[in-house]
This record gives sequence, C-alpha cells and structure tokens, in this order.
Amino acid sequence: MNPAVSFPANAYSYTIATFRALAEAIVPFTPSMAEYGAEQTAGAVQLHVHEYIIWELDHSLTLAVGFYPEVVPLAYSTAALLNSGASQMVASVNAQFAPSNGTVPHVPFAALSPADRVRTLSRLERLEVDLRALPPPFRNDGGLVKFIVDYLNRAVMFGNYSEWPAYGTTRLETPTRRRLEGFPVGWKQAGYPGVSLGYRALRGYPLTIIREDGGYTIV
Amino acid sequence: MYDADVIVIGSGGGGAVAAKELGELGLKVLVLEAGPFYGNSKWRNPNAERGSEWSSSFDDLDIGTYKKIYSRYENDMNDVVSGAFRFGPADRSRTPWHRVMRQKGDIWQLAGVGGTTQHYWAQSPRAFPSAVDGVWPISYSELIPYYEKAEATLPVQFAPTTPKEELFYYGAKKAGWSLLPTLDVTTPGYRPNPNAILRTNERLMDPNYSMEQLNNMEGCTLQGHCVNGCTSGPSVDKIAKRGTLVSYIPLALKTGNVAIRPNSFTIKIITDRDPKEGLRAAGVRFRDTWTGEVGELTARAVVMAAGCIESPRLWFNSELPYNYWVGRGLTNHCFDWVGGVFDEKDLMSIMGLPAVYPYMGHTSGARVDIPGIGIFQVSCLSPGLMSFLTYGFSEAGYDALNPPEPGAPWNVRGRTVGPALKELMMNYSRTMTYLLLTDDETLARNRVEVDPILKDENGPIPVVHYMPSAKTLQRRDRLARYACETLKLAGAKTIIRSDTPFSFMLHLESTMRMGHVVDTNCEAYQVKRLFIADNSVHYNGIGGPNPTLTTQALATRTSEKLAQRYFS
Ligand SMILES: Cc1cc2nc3c(=O)[nH]c(=O)nc-3n(C[C@H](O)[C@H](O)[C@H](O)COP(=O)(O)OP(=O)(O)OC[C@H]3O[C@@H](n4cnc5c(N)ncnc54)[C@H](O)[C@@H]3O)c2cc1C
Ligand code: SF4
Repeated sequence: MNPAVSFPANAYSYTIATFRALAEAIVPFTPSMAEYGAEQTAGAVQLHVHEYIIWELDHSLTLAVGFYPEVVPLAYSTAALLNSGASQMVASVNAQFAPSNGTVPHVPFAALSPADRVRTLSRLERLEVDLRALPPPFRNDGGLVKFIVDYLNRAVMFGNYSEWPAYGTTRLETPTRRRLEGFPVGWKQAGYPGVSLGYRALRGYPLTIIREDGGYTIV
Repeated sequence: MYDADVIVIGSGGGGAVAAKELGELGLKVLVLEAGPFYGNSKWRNPNAERGSEWSSSFDDLDIGTYKKIYSRYENDMNDVVSGAFRFGPADRSRTPWHRVMRQKGDIWQLAGVGGTTQHYWAQSPRAFPSAVDGVWPISYSELIPYYEKAEATLPVQFAPTTPKEELFYYGAKKAGWSLLPTLDVTTPGYRPNPNAILRTNERLMDPNYSMEQLNNMEGCTLQGHCVNGCTSGPSVDKIAKRGTLVSYIPLALKTGNVAIRPNSFTIKIITDRDPKEGLRAAGVRFRDTWTGEVGELTARAVVMAAGCIESPRLWFNSELPYNYWVGRGLTNHCFDWVGGVFDEKDLMSIMGLPAVYPYMGHTSGARVDIPGIGIFQVSCLSPGLMSFLTYGFSEAGYDALNPPEPGAPWNVRGRTVGPALKELMMNYSRTMTYLLLTDDETLARNRVEVDPILKDENGPIPVVHYMPSAKTLQRRDRLARYACETLKLAGAKTIIRSDTPFSFMLHLESTMRMGHVVDTNCEAYQVKRLFIADNSVHYNGIGGPNPTLTTQALATRTSEKLAQRYFS
C-alpha cells in the first residue's frame, strides 16, 4: 500500500518473509471474495500487518540488564521460533510446500503451504516440538512458546481489523505521531461504520433505580 | 513533620475512592500514580512530554485535553503494547512494563489516573450474597451501606436497551430465565446491567439536536465506546462512563485536601518500628517515570491500591515481613467468550432491524446471573478487539484441526483462521457476543511472585501463575452451555465458543486476602498503618460478578476505619 515506508527489504528479509507468511495464513488474500465487494479481497499482507507484528514485538519488552534498562527486541527470535517449528515439522511429518514460495530460501515457515503453517503453529502451541532445539529465549521455555504463539494469532487479527493499516505512511512511527490517512480497510470488511459520537438507538429501559431520601427503589 | 496524613499508591478502581473519602474526612492526602494523567491542563501532551509534577485543583481538569487523547480508535487506545490504555509509562515511545506469564493469555491493566477503570465497561453489580456470607470474614449486610454509598456516588443505573440487549432478552426469556428486579441477587435470572453510566441523554432521540451537540451534553449517547474510552460529556467530571478518572478523582480534587502526582512509580514502602505499634508504614519511595529521579514522602498512614499484581510486588520488593498468603489466592473469573451469527431475516422478524449493531450502546448492557455458577453478559466490541476475542484467542487451538463433536452446543470451538475467518468477519454487524464470568474457586497455587532474576527500572518484575481448578472449569463449561442455548433460541445460525485462555486477566482479585494478609478493616496484620484498597483484598472472586463496585464499597469503608483508628 505504502511501500515507501516499509522496512528495508534486505536488512529484515528473513523476519519479514516469516511474518508475511504468518499474516497470509491467518488473514489471506481472497480474490474469490470480490463478489462481496472489492475491499473483501485484501488480506493482512496487503494491509502490511506483518510490519505491525514486527513493530509490536520489537517494542514490547524492556529489562534492566546490568544497571540500565534496555529494550529487548523479539521479532527476529520469534521468526526463528516459527522457522524452527517448521523445520521440525517437515522432518517429522509429510508437509505440503507452497508451490510459489521458492523465493524465500532459509525461511522454512514461509515455504510451507498456509495450512501447514497453521499446523506448525498448532504443534508449537501444543509443545509437540523438541524444546531444546528452539532458539533463545524460547529454548526449554514451553510456557513462553504457548504465550507467543497464541499472541501471534490474535495480533494479526487485531492488526488487520483495527484502524492500524489506515495510519498509512505513518504506521511505523511512534504512536503519538501516527495520523489516519483514510478509512480502515478492515473496518470496511467488517461493516463497521467507524468511531461515533453517538447513536439514536434507545429502545427502552427494563428497570430503573430511583434514589430518594437516602434510600432507593427499583421500578 | 510528615508530608501528608495519608499517601495513596495507585489511583484506579480502589485508590481514587480512598483519596476522595479520606479527603472528605478532612485528611491531607497525596496520591502517587505510576501512569499519566489524561484530561488535565497540567499535562497537555501527557504521552510525549513530562509536564508538571502535581495537580491539586478541580480547575486543572480539562475536557479538551481529555477528548484529544480519548480518540476512540481501538488500536490507538487499546493496543496493550503501544496504546493510550496500557500498563506502561506515559511516554508512548517506550515499551510497556512487563510481567512474566508462561501460559496463553494476556493481562489488561492500565496505568494512569483512573487505572483500569479507564477502559472498564462500568458494570457495577454487587457480590452474590452467597459468595460472601459465611465465607468472608465480614458479612454481606456489613457491605450494604457502603455499596449504597458507592452506587449513589458513581452513580449506578440499570442499562438502557439497544438492539443487542433486545436480542439478548429475547433469547434469555425463551430459555426460561426470569427478570430479576434487584441489586442483591440470590436466585438465577436476567436483568439489565447495573452500570456506572449516566442515564441516556434525554434529547438523544430528538433530531433537532445534532450528534456534536449531544456529545457535548450530559448523558450517555450510546456511542458504544465504553471499552475504547467514553467521550460523551461537557466536562471531565460529567463524562457518561464513570471510570474513577471522571467520577471519584474530580470529587477528590474538589475536597481541596488531595494532590495527585502521576508519572510516579512507587518502588518501596518505607517502614519504621514504633515501641507500641511495632512495625508500621511511614512513607514511600518513588521513581519519576520521565526523569528516573527517586523521591521520598512521609505520612502517618499509607493506602496501597496498586492493583492485584503490583500490590503484592510492592510488598515483596519492599521486603515487608513474610506471609504465605501475600500474592496467593489469585482469582480471575476464568473467562470464556461465545458468539452467535444471525441471519438478517431472523433479526427483521424479531426486532424489525437487519443487524445486531454490536457497536451501539453500552459495551455490555445485560446479563444472566446464576449464583453458584457465574454470569453471562452481552458484550460487543469494535471489530479489531471482537475479531481476536472471538476467533483468535483460545485455549483449544484451531477449530479446523479439532472440530467440535456432533451435537455440541457450538459449531465452532477455538480459533478460526484463513478464508473462513474473513467470511465470519463479514458478518460482524450481525454477530452478538457474550462474555462469561465464572465463579472461580480460590486456590493458593494461583499467585503473583517476583522474578528472582529479571528486573525493570522499578525492581524485580512480577510473575503471574493461574491454573483454574476442575470445579471452576466445570462451572465454566455449564455457563458456556447456558449461554450458547440462549443464542440458539434467539435464532443464531452459527455459534462460536472461543474457549478463552484461562489467563485472560481482566478481573484479577484476592491476592492480598482479607483474613490472611489484611484484617477486616483492610489493615495489614504485619505492618500497622498500611491499608490496602484495591481488588486484592477480596476474600474470593465474589461469585463471579464484576469486581470493582465491591472494591469501591470496601475502599469507602476502609477510609472510614483508617480515619477512626488513626485520626479521631
Ligand atoms: C476491558 C476491561 C473491562 C472491565 N470491565 C469491568 C466492568 O465492567 N466492571 C467491573 O467491575 N470491572 C471491570 N473490569 C475490571 C476493573 O477494571 C478492575 O476491577 C478495577 O480497575 C480494579 O481496581 P484496582 O484498584 O484493583 O486496580 P487498577 O484499576 O488497575 O488500579 C491500579 C492503579 O495503580 C497504579 N499503580 C500500580 N503500581 C503502582 C506503583 N507501584 N506506584 C504507583 N501506582 C501504581 C496503576 O497504574 C493503576 O492506575 C474490567 C477490566 C478490563 C481490562
Ligand atoms: S455507550 Fe458511549 S456514551 Fe455511553 S458510556 Fe459507553 S462510551 Fe460513553
């Protein structure tokens, strides 16, 4: 949508390819849905939601290492988690590869079909993996794996169906500097009219509390 | 000699009430709040600049600043990492404050004046009497006068009907539940939510008034943003949804006895040893979240109201005496979430309307109460939040990999992804969703601790453990069956049970329980002059009802007891 401000492709290609594959598996591009309206075809990748995930993972944790608090970025290691999960699945079961994804070498998660990416996520969250083979900080920490895999699902949905994509060229700015550049596509997809000042939707009161003389009655 | 009579730590659901009540009793109160102060002319850019230090005047409140921050946009407001509503420093270019949770779930707490009530849904039911009498160290009748005072102050009123409530009542009646015209629930039935929301603006249905005009008048405009931050009202103290930022905080400032310092994270409770009283609280040490400077303040008493995670953390990090129950007994109502998708023609025949309109009216306006089991309540959200709660957040994994057995009361259980998700989300405006609150058994193993290694700038960070009992899970399952039955009877064509992660933490309670950590006046057994006034003093999860009103009633009572004991 706004390629000018996307992450530089080379520097982050591994991380970007992984989260694009995740976003695509959860909210896919669906040309067949054009019959319901042009806006219904866009998927999370078209709305740059993979960048939202990367931004969030890299801005979610600060720890005091030594004397000074430091930000601990998590996007790269989380991408490595998904790729490790994918490699382990390929090694243990018959996985289907996405036919067209030969463009992303060394990104096993992205090489899988969308359905098998979901199977990978499922195996990870059920801890049907060798925890010792996972990258840090997930190595031998099944609880953290469960947390993050569940998070990745809901974060793609929240990114897609909230107004985030409509921040357009400002979407990767610090939150106070983001500005809306249009009506959010996800809101159109859902048929949500946008934020409101009010609705003339009153249809009555089944019960009312009346307070008088220090007491109350219910009518 | 002392900086104040009382220092209150935290200004959320409970702390703001203590500040107002103590101020009205004539005590000099200082409030330290970790997060920002929205809607105050002393902090016009509260998320980007440090601004002033203290606010102590009602005239500081500023509706312009308030409405500028409260944008109602769900990502801007509700994103737990970067939103205006998060548990983190005011400076939104920094990360949130971390808690360790090694399981699926999420913790929704808020830093800032008003605390988590900034995005709460204002449901203000009393506890189920059966969860208090014979269980708590105090009786339900002891609570009643304080409930009445908090209800009148907020004020609490039964919710109006909008389309989604009408549809909810239609299903509830078909399922045989009867109307409960009461605040003291002893039998099962349905009722409108007792909400801390002003009555609907009387001019709302009058087309001579524009929506802009109505939004700047007193009264709810059914704008449907309770969760995103309500903006209806002419001034900060008259905003329709009565989080404590707009209810108790203005009243506290009006007393002239209360000063509030946001951006101030309390890192230690300072104690001394009195020959007669023994160990007692004497003040606090705090850290300015913008500058990192550390300050100290002294007082004759301290009220801790930092919430169910930070109150025990502060106890541990202050190295207060060992007590097995500090941090233990965490309850959370073990939520679940169900949804029903309706056909337009069915909605037309029931209501004469083509949709459910999940974005209109109170976020949550009606409920079925079932003492001994819990509550299910109609709760509808903006699409980003709704999509992930309904389709993306689950203890059960992916529906497609593990579909429900035939005959189950739901068609979908667990996450839906891929094209099926997009098709379901196209039906957002015809989908009604319910939040389920379970009567959660109190277990010592469910707890808040501090990490032995990990620290942030405020000290060792909290670790949260929560695994419900078999009994809690049975009740939750029954609740889900009741809830899905009403959806089915109302005509829903597709029924979704998300099977929400157990650790979706919104209703945290009982980590500093009365009778274990604090006495019946909510004073710590082991540290005199240290009182607690947040959800953590609840003895249990009060049977399932939303917890805040009970905290507010108790904070009212605690303030009275504190003043009697140390200032009469
Ligand atoms: C989306 C959502 C909807 C909800 N809806 C409802 C509802 O409808 N009805 C209901 O009853 N409940 C509801 N709740 C729960 C409700 O928000 C809580 O019950 C209530 O806010 C708890 O009050 P508290 O005082 O315990 O904690 P909080 O309101 O969280 O307040 C704690 C305050 O202390 C501050 N603090 C923490 N640590 C420190 C420190 N060390 N120094 C200084 N300050 C500190 C925090 O920043 C915060 O402001 C909802 C919660 C959520 C997330
Ligand atoms: S429905 Fe709207 S106006 Fe009413 S309280 Fe909620 S947010 Fe405010």
